[in-house]
Amino acid sequence: MEILVPKSIPIATKTDQSRWLHKFTFTVTAIILLFGLSSQIIYAQQVTVTGRVTTTNNEGLPGVTVLVKGTSSGTTTDASGDYSLAVPAGQENGALIFSFIGYETQEVPLNNRTTVNVTLADDAKALEEVVVIGYQTIRKQDLTGAASVINPEAAQKVTANSVGESIQGLAPGVTVRNTGRPGANAAVDIRGVASFTNTTPLYVIDGMIADANTTINTNDIESMQILKDASAAAIYGSRAGNGVIIITTKRGKEGPAKIGVSVKHGVQQLPKLWDVMNSEEFAATQRQQYLNSGATPPASVALTPPTNGSVLHYTLTDTDWQKETTQLGSLADYNISLSGGSQAGNYLISGSYFTNEGTVVGNSFDRASVRVNTQGTKGRITFGENLVLTHSWEERPLLANAFYDMPQLLPVIPVQSDALINSAANNPGGWGLGDPVTAPSYAWNYIAMTELFNTTHQYSRIVGNAYADVKFFDWLTYRFNAGVDAGIDRHQNLRTQGNWVLGQAFEASHVYQNRQNFSTLLFEHTINFNKKLDRHNINGVLGYTQQHTWRDILEARRNDLVNFGGEYLTTISSAVGDQTSEGRILDDFRINGTLGRINYTYNDKYLLTLTGRYDQDSRFAAQYRNAFFPSVALGWRISQEEFLNAAWISDLKLRASYGQLGIITVGSWDYIGGINNNPRVVFGADNQTIAVGAYQARLANPDLRWETRTSRNIGLDGSFFNNRVLVTADYYHSLSEDVLVQLPIAYYLGNLGGDPFVNAASLSNRGVEFSATYRSSENPFKWDISANFTTIKNRIEDIGNLGEGINYLQVGATRSQLGRGVGEWFVVETNGIFQSEEEVLNHKNSKGTVIQPFSKPGDIRFVDLNDDGQINDDDRTFKGSPWPKLQTGAQFNAAYGGFNFNLQLVGVFGQTVFNDVRRILDSYVNTNFRRDISPWTTTNTNTSDPRLGLNSEQGIDFNNRYSSDRWLENASYVRLRNIEIGYNLPATFLSRLHTNNARLFISGQNLLTITKYRGLDPDVTSASILERGIDAGSWPASRVYSIGLNFEF
Amino acid sequence: MKKIISFLLAAGLFITSCKQDLDVANPNAPTTSVFWQNATDAQQGVNAVYSTLHRDRMVLWQWFYYTVRSDEAFSVSPDVAIPNNMDRFLITDYNFARTNLVYADNYVGVFRANQVLDNVPNIEMDEALKARYLGEAKFLRAFFYYNLASLFGNVPLILITSKPTDLPANATREQVWEQAAKDLTEAAAVLPISYSGMDVGRVTKGAAYALLAKVYMQQRKYAEALTPLQWLVDGEGKSVYNLMPNYRDNFLSTTENNAESVFEWQLATNLSEFTPEDTQTPNQNYGSPLAQFLAPLNVGYSDAEIHRWVVNEFHKDKTTTGARDPRLTASFIYDSTDVRGPAFTQVYGQTFAQRYGLTGGNRNRVWLRKFSNDAETGRTSEGFRSANNYRFIRYADVLLMYAETLNELNRTADAYQHVNRVRQRAGLPTLTVARPNLTQEQFRSQIMHERVTELAGEGHRWNDLDRWGYFESQARINGLIQRDPAFTTFMLDRHRLLPLPQRDVDINPNLNQNPNY
Repeated sequence: MEILVPKSIPIATKTDQSRWLHKFTFTVTAIILLFGLSSQIIYAQQVTVTGRVTTTNNEGLPGVTVLVKGTSSGTTTDASGDYSLAVPAGQENGALIFSFIGYETQEVPLNNRTTVNVTLADDAKALEEVVVIGYQTIRKQDLTGAASVINPEAAQKVTANSVGESIQGLAPGVTVRNTGRPGANAAVDIRGVASFTNTTPLYVIDGMIADANTTINTNDIESMQILKDASAAAIYGSRAGNGVIIITTKRGKEGPAKIGVSVKHGVQQLPKLWDVMNSEEFAATQRQQYLNSGATPPASVALTPPTNGSVLHYTLTDTDWQKETTQLGSLADYNISLSGGSQAGNYLISGSYFTNEGTVVGNSFDRASVRVNTQGTKGRITFGENLVLTHSWEERPLLANAFYDMPQLLPVIPVQSDALINSAANNPGGWGLGDPVTAPSYAWNYIAMTELFNTTHQYSRIVGNAYADVKFFDWLTYRFNAGVDAGIDRHQNLRTQGNWVLGQAFEASHVYQNRQNFSTLLFEHTINFNKKLDRHNINGVLGYTQQHTWRDILEARRNDLVNFGGEYLTTISSAVGDQTSEGRILDDFRINGTLGRINYTYNDKYLLTLTGRYDQDSRFAAQYRNAFFPSVALGWRISQEEFLNAAWISDLKLRASYGQLGIITVGSWDYIGGINNNPRVVFGADNQTIAVGAYQARLANPDLRWETRTSRNIGLDGSFFNNRVLVTADYYHSLSEDVLVQLPIAYYLGNLGGDPFVNAASLSNRGVEFSATYRSSENPFKWDISANFTTIKNRIEDIGNLGEGINYLQVGATRSQLGRGVGEWFVVETNGIFQSEEEVLNHKNSKGTVIQPFSKPGDIRFVDLNDDGQINDDDRTFKGSPWPKLQTGAQFNAAYGGFNFNLQLVGVFGQTVFNDVRRILDSYVNTNFRRDISPWTTTNTNTSDPRLGLNSEQGIDFNNRYSSDRWLENASYVRLRNIEIGYNLPATFLSRLHTNNARLFISGQNLLTITKYRGLDPDVTSASILERGIDAGSWPASRVYSIGLNFEF
Repeated sequence: MKKIISFLLAAGLFITSCKQDLDVANPNAPTTSVFWQNATDAQQGVNAVYSTLHRDRMVLWQWFYYTVRSDEAFSVSPDVAIPNNMDRFLITDYNFARTNLVYADNYVGVFRANQVLDNVPNIEMDEALKARYLGEAKFLRAFFYYNLASLFGNVPLILITSKPTDLPANATREQVWEQAAKDLTEAAAVLPISYSGMDVGRVTKGAAYALLAKVYMQQRKYAEALTPLQWLVDGEGKSVYNLMPNYRDNFLSTTENNAESVFEWQLATNLSEFTPEDTQTPNQNYGSPLAQFLAPLNVGYSDAEIHRWVVNEFHKDKTTTGARDPRLTASFIYDSTDVRGPAFTQVYGQTFAQRYGLTGGNRNRVWLRKFSNDAETGRTSEGFRSANNYRFIRYADVLLMYAETLNELNRTADAYQHVNRVRQRAGLPTLTVARPNLTQEQFRSQIMHERVTELAGEGHRWNDLDRWGYFESQARINGLIQRDPAFTTFMLDRHRLLPLPQRDVDINPNLNQNPNY
């Protein structure tokens, strides 16, 4: 349970200091590294080598990369295949490396020559590309499961808080929904929703199971693979049901030390705000509203302003709350790395600093991280480690959502005014809160709240692993791997005196701190083997793994802050009032897993993969603790067959898989009923005794089991025309059974603390994924284009035994019903606006009952679906789904000379969103109005906005019915996700700077969104799976303009 | 190969030797399997049932349904859900949270009581104490069902510890009353007459009899109601209970658990509370938010206020010295709380005239004073943590119930003496003097008047109207409309009961919504 309570101003000062200190340390380190290394670079004469690269047909081959071996000096061939390259001193007897997609890479010794001509042969090994699939790396051509490889370059073009955010639109089958809040994770789900309670994929970072949330620097990522079907993911067994994202971080490469630096600066802005009224317009509209209902308008909008007093009349006040609450955000991302290596080992040390000041005041996120990845080999033994230390700060008010409140606030209320200072009303700051009579508003003054309730969050984390490989034979390696993900979260609230909303109860000033320690330890023993016998190739892995996860929490609070010289003291001990403390173990669970995978190929043509994992988990009762997750997959490389010997087909593979995966969503002890000893009762003649009560508050389900997802996949991978065209297509069907669901249980059970989980439901997801890439690199103008699309159709196959006639879960305005999708909208239908009294009276059921006798012309007409003569919940019906029918992504890259260009598009189509903020605004209850509102009047009849009036009239109140299709909107959209133009500084210029390469770029993110959605952003992220499409003030993705420089020397 | 085998063996040994134990104990709380073992567990189990009484919906919103929905009070809260759902019978959402939570909190209490009643009998402990604990749990369960029957009527009867799979059917309102009567009868048999020391505040035999009488009276079973009332007024209860000489002592936090208190909800202020949720943390609010919601404009939320006709009722009689009924001052904050008028009436540190002026709409407003803390010196505001106990059943109520019951049983003459006691305490002439020789019908009307002046705003009005048949004829409703226009939208076949939470009806196919919702 979250008991994050109160803060204020001085802590910000302290945080700023420590942040500044970190920035300073980072900068100094960077400078020392830069100058230290650059001073070692020797000034010397260079030699220029020229030549021509041709195909076997003796045609000039443009675009070939030519690199001096062991350095990063290089160039590319021009349109006729010619090149010219400055070879650094000391490399005259080195070698040149010629490489190009679809051709075999060649290494040519220089031997002091200044002309080197080369003929490149078609590359038979173009498919040597490897894929990391968990405990093993295999050739892509041998892959039988469905796995997407994310191009990290594309991901890193987007300025992102988290890994999830950076991959939107880049891979089929991966749905990413973003917010613009600093420090917020994106919502990622793979191939639909397999569970009602958890859809987060499993993240594996360098072999360690660790959430790749915002505390992980995205710049360290070397490669990212997404395992989508059972065959690919089954090695992670019980936790792989939502898919697995495997992240491998960068390592040093063989060669001399290299320093890489990247700097990026950007600004963030909100692409859209609500178009609400100014003071003058609002006053006129609210006056009309009250007059329409025969009421006296509040004094704040009256024609004759009150002469004095706390009410500031609209003519004196015109607050644009959205403008006051939002700002131009800023972003900066600095990375520096030192890397290198030899045959005996390699190293990479990188430091990064990311800072994001949000588009709403009082929200920021900063992250500093240091990574050290090293590896060394001695004889048969290889040691290595990957380790990242990160520290993040977040300023984020916990209680309020600006996007919910700021459009509602009345423009006639000032943000703050001396005239409003009133200690008796607990408003020493004079914040604008409205007044129950003269300016009624119950929206929160967000600015006041951020001042009076200052909240800071800090996350310190270490994630990494260390391993030892023992190579017993060429074909057999043992690995011991130990992983850790541990950290400390600290939250502090500082509550100072004052109110931020009308009618707020008095709360003592206080300081509250919440500290959580967590750790996950992982120990693994694995044996990898790879044996080739004639045409048979068999490889695989066997292993045993143990995981222990633990988290505790300690909270303390003390009332009555002490203020010295205008500054509050902010430690617990400095406060002088009542104090309280809480502490408990939030999680303590263990998992033992035995895993294995065998890949068998015959003649590189027929492929078989068997994968299985046996998991034991302490979070279930003894009889449900063990489960086996098997999978099988077959592959057939048709292109290897004689009958398909077409030159234009480089490779063609058909694959199919079947298997089972698990998902766990329960807490460590959910299966056992616990005694709650919090109840208290007051006894004694003078109420002196506070007696302890205890009982089982929350119903428990001892029969909790795993959720299992049975997944089937058929896919086709093809590459054509010398690998210029790459195509992947998949059809998938997965069935999730024993789905844990917190069935909303009846109030009459008296349960508290959340509905118990029951393994009651079953869900299926099926769809098609397709991605294609075309690469054109023959000409100086090189370009490639990739596009993908995904369809997801989910269906509830079983909802559990809820009794006769009940085959759905009802949450808010959604219903998840047997045979339909998850969380479809289930609301009462509207049917226009009554234009006359006659129409009201004619709106009758078949028996002649007037359905809305209380309505007036200008009110909403609802459909009496069950014909019972009244409008109520029995008239609800399905009105659309929050699930997109089609999700698409496209990337376009082009390069010419030193210029390069990247464009990313995201398109999501067919989903319906419940616009809850518009519901609040259009209900006309103590809120500002949309400026473009057009309320019905006798002279303005062609409108969809009902008449203005007070909801003390039943007709008006009825218009605002929550369960109504009035608030549903088509949220299809196409978004220009990213556009980037880069320029590689010319080599001649760089050599003067002793820099190997340098790239300058500018980019724009989320510049354009085409949508009919009327809210701020159709890319809605709702925390709830069953209410996926509700926009209760989702923080819109920001528009980001940035400029950056990367260089390496 | 040998090397590999020996390695594999070694690895296997290593793995086996450090195989993790998967039985991880919960260090935070005992499990149900180790609880309910001794007398302490039994006592804590019973205490948890009492804890329900200070859950905020129980204290706050239930009062609204008993009072604001009746003709006594109304709401002009800017939070329009309050007037619409709680005052004006404009209920469009059958999942209205506050309605649902009143229902839910009563069932939280039932769940707690059921755990005591299921588990405590198996505990080896002092039998007398065990019987008392079981009696307390039965009383409280009966009280929760009393509320459910009063407000929702046809609710499911849950009498053993709930399981998530329970799908009970509706019981009839009569069955719910009967169950409450059964529990109260059994509780009255074992509960002590009074407590001392740290047990003061626990429910007594007298409380059980008083609530039992209410349960019977709501069913108009006056003959059955007579027995418990006799115990309270003429029997053993006579030596326990009395009217406090000063009427206002029933509403002050300094005079709690006094001789007039029959069933009193114990409240206290916890300064470091931050939630009313009593299972979340011990740092919970065990005070009442009612004072904050009822306090006058600019002091509290003013979310409910009293109709002026109620004030007028007090003017029908003068005291024996010709003065105004002193209960007016104790009951309300309005322009004449002080008999000398607004310039002298104190409203939390300011005069009424200073606060609200002498003209304008606020002049006629009336706020309930009974739950307030304005007697505390220097008090200028209320808050969510009022320590002022809620005397849910007072002895004055019992006396009026007794009088009403006797009258209904055609013993009008016998009934006079009990009304006299109540009137005399207020300084009024006895009924015997003021209105002798009333017929049964006239006496019934007199009782209606007496209950308004004695018990205004204390949470009994809705049930009084229900018992007196106001919700069963349009003619009576028309009478109510004269006093409270909100009844214009009252529908006879529907609004006597609240809708059951639609969520429960949705979940449980055996559960039917109340008629005509």
